[in-house]
This record gives sequence, structure tokens and C-alpha cells, in this order.
Amino acid sequence: MTERRCKQIFAMLSDFLDGELPAKNCRELERHLEGCPPCIAYLESLRTTVEACRKYPAPRAPAPSKQVKAALLAAAKRSPRNK
Amino acid sequence: MNARVEQALTRLKSGKPEDVERALETLQEIVYGFGMKLCGVREDAEDTAQETLLRLARQLKDFPNARALAVWLYKVARSQCLMSRRKSKFAPAQMLSLDELMPKESGAAVPAIQAWKITPEEIVLNKELRGKLEDAVLSLPPHYRLVLILRDMEQLDTREVAQVMGISEETAKMRLHRARVSLRNALAGYVRRSQREDHD
Repeated sequence: MTERRCKQIFAMLSDFLDGELPAKNCRELERHLEGCPPCIAYLESLRTTVEACRKYPAPRAPAPSKQVKAALLAAAKRSPRNK
Repeated sequence: MNARVEQALTRLKSGKPEDVERALETLQEIVYGFGMKLCGVREDAEDTAQETLLRLARQLKDFPNARALAVWLYKVARSQCLMSRRKSKFAPAQMLSLDELMPKESGAAVPAIQAWKITPEEIVLNKELRGKLEDAVLSLPPHYRLVLILRDMEQLDTREVAQVMGISEETAKMRLHRARVSLRNALAGYVRRSQREDHD
């Protein structure tokens, strides 16, 4: 993964995974991947990393404080729809 | 993410106490969870949630839609969290260079790049792996960490991430890629080691 082409491809991988790569670059990248197993392996491990972040479970939150609860209840009462 | 925020906003605006309480639970989960991922310290995340939601109470009428509320929430929570940095684990601010992050030559001294996989179940059930991921995220310099958390964990879109951070979408994408690559490299050694042990 040291060739100049690999380096250019490497910079595009996240946009590719997010579906945000322009069509022309997308075709270029796919053509390169057909003949470059290290880039394929890297892309797959990057995809796995992104999926791991997406599946990361939210930490368990404590209950909101009484102060916050009272403030939001009062604010919601004042909301224009409730007048 | 916006679906949860949208539901919370509708409930808040209904004004019914039971709806407001349910909305508050959702928003507390979102802001506290974000605070934990960004600061890594429970007390800081609690302070972040408390201060952010108190400010929300003062500005509730100003949100036309869920996108506006989501961007506002993360913006405020981000600055609250950064103010709590006395306790939190913050890596020094630095630039991540793509050249340095790129895997080097697959010569004799460096193992070739190998594919590896983490299943969604492993992330939920494997505490050690989750710990590695948390440590790797917390080790990222702050502005890379923030973009990764917002985009990949909170699942905002690129435009929303750019708005929360006050940067262009191009800069957000550039930082996201470097953050992902850095995280991937940090996880690679651990995942390969544990997969080797499973095969032995």
C-alpha cells in the first residue's frame, strides 16, 4: 500500500463508505480495488470500525435532576401552543 | 438521531406533564451519552446534561424543527463538556497527518494488511473490546474525537456535524476520515491478537 495510486485511494475511503464520493471518483476507486487486495482489506477494516462505532451502546444515563424537570415542565407550559 | 429528537420536541411542545417527562428522559439519554463519549468521566457528563437541559428550558420556544434542536443541543453540550476538562481525559490538541496514518510498505518487517471483522454483537457484549474502543476514541485529539462521535456514534449527517462544530463540510469530512483511520489502526492490533488467540 505504498504506490501513489493507493495513497490517493486511501484519502477517499471514508467518503466512499458514506456514499459521498462523486460518481467519477467512485468508479476510479472501484476499478483500483479490483486489483489491490491490501486496499480492499483496509477498506473492509475501516468499514468494520465505522460499524463498531454505530453499534456502540449508549451509556446508561442517570435520571434527570428535579431542577431540570421543574424547569422544563414550566417552559413547556409557557410554550406558545399551550397559551 | 433526528427521529428521537423530533419525537422529544413534539412531546415538549405538547405541554402535557407526562409527555414532557418522557421527552426529558430521551434528551437526558442523548446528552449524557454524548457527554460520556466526549469526556469519558461520569461527573462531567452529568454536569453537561444538567447545564444543557437547563439552558434548553430557557430557549425552548426557539426551535422550529428537530434539526435545529439537535444542532443546538450538541453545540451547547460540546462547550459544556469542554469546560469540564479539569476532570476529563483530553488528549493534547494536535494534527493527524494522513501520510503518517497510512499503512506502510508490506515488506518483510511489516505484516501485510489483513482483513478483520468485529460483529455488532461483539461491540455490545465484549466489555474488553468496548473498553478498547472507548480508550481509542478518548485518545483522539479533541476536534477529531468530536467529529467522529457526532458522525459515527450520534449519527448526525455531515451538514449537521459542520454546523455543530462551526466548520465547513469539507473540513468535517477530512477530520472524520483521519479520526476513523486512527481509530481503525488503534483497534487493528487488539482485534488481530484476540482473533489469533481464538484460533489457537
